[in-house]
Amino acid sequence: MVIKADFHLHSCLSPCGDLAMSPRTIAETLASKGVALAALTDHNSALNCPAFGAACAKLGIVPLFGIEAQGQEECHVLCLFADLAAALELGERLYELMPPVMNVPEKMGDQVYVDENEDIAGEVDKYLITSAEIGLDGLASLVAGLGGILIPAHVDRPAFSMTSQLGFVVDGPWDALEVVRMPAPEGAREVDTRGYPLITSSDAHYVEHIGRRAFDLDLADDPLALSDGRANLAAIRAALARRPR
Amino acid sequence: MKTRELASFLGAQCAQAEYDDREIAGAYTSDLLSDAMANAVDNGILITIQAHKNTVAVGTLKDLAAIVICNNRPIPDDMIEAARDERIAIFVTPESQFAVSGKLYPILGR
Repeated sequence: MVIKADFHLHSCLSPCGDLAMSPRTIAETLASKGVALAALTDHNSALNCPAFGAACAKLGIVPLFGIEAQGQEECHVLCLFADLAAALELGERLYELMPPVMNVPEKMGDQVYVDENEDIAGEVDKYLITSAEIGLDGLASLVAGLGGILIPAHVDRPAFSMTSQLGFVVDGPWDALEVVRMPAPEGAREVDTRGYPLITSSDAHYVEHIGRRAFDLDLADDPLALSDGRANLAAIRAALARRPR
Repeated sequence: MKTRELASFLGAQCAQAEYDDREIAGAYTSDLLSDAMANAVDNGILITIQAHKNTVAVGTLKDLAAIVICNNRPIPDDMIEAARDERIAIFVTPESQFAVSGKLYPILGR
């Protein structure tokens, strides 16, 4: 079975995310676009994932609980989990490791998270688009220890990517790499993706961008979800390995 | 030193000229935006090669007067637009971060 997946979505918790990007709105828009598997990936925090999970459950979307993590090298990495608790734990660890640079909502945007009823449950005080004091290797071990999938984000982008920060794609336990465009447009800088499976995703910050770069995932005969409703991470890993390289 | 004096002093091109001219409080040189966010001088300038609009966000947070882009890195339109909205000047120079910092240090370094 080939399904449509979108692994890079920001909610109103990200300071750069539109306030209209509530977890329920994101889930409803994904459903209208036929996306069956989706990850919420706010910057350095998973605090909107509980509401996202609840909204997805009502619409038959299988949720992945994610974070777009930023460590010392400023390479963004999508860290995706089937278990909500694991994503929240990663978020707590990153919060502890982030410097005390506080958000100024009127300048940088709000960082609010909501409950299942879409009521504001809280606000994150530290500015989220900053670097946790952890290197790429440390982040990879931390996420692997929590059972998560690792996908370096937008590796072909000139900001916050492996190529912009380190000059090239470095080896690691990456399940795939996210690229903005597949194939690369005419005249674009060639990025050596070193044989890793490639995906695209929306990196949506506004409702109209949800699903714009959703990708096909071939699950073969594996079920997308386990009997308890959680994403079947082993099947998703295997399907990622079947993506073009 | 005021913002409008930077171009001639550095031999730099002004890439975004719709800014409020003001006294420059200091300077910081870094290509890691999270580091710049933590350590840039309020009302100062940032010397960097990070030519994209996320750098303007650091400028907004730190009330920067200007961003100096080194090594003639091309500046995308969305960075210019973001800086115009925030009234932050952008200068671009063929020189390195080291050279620009060295030139400015005697004036802004104390």
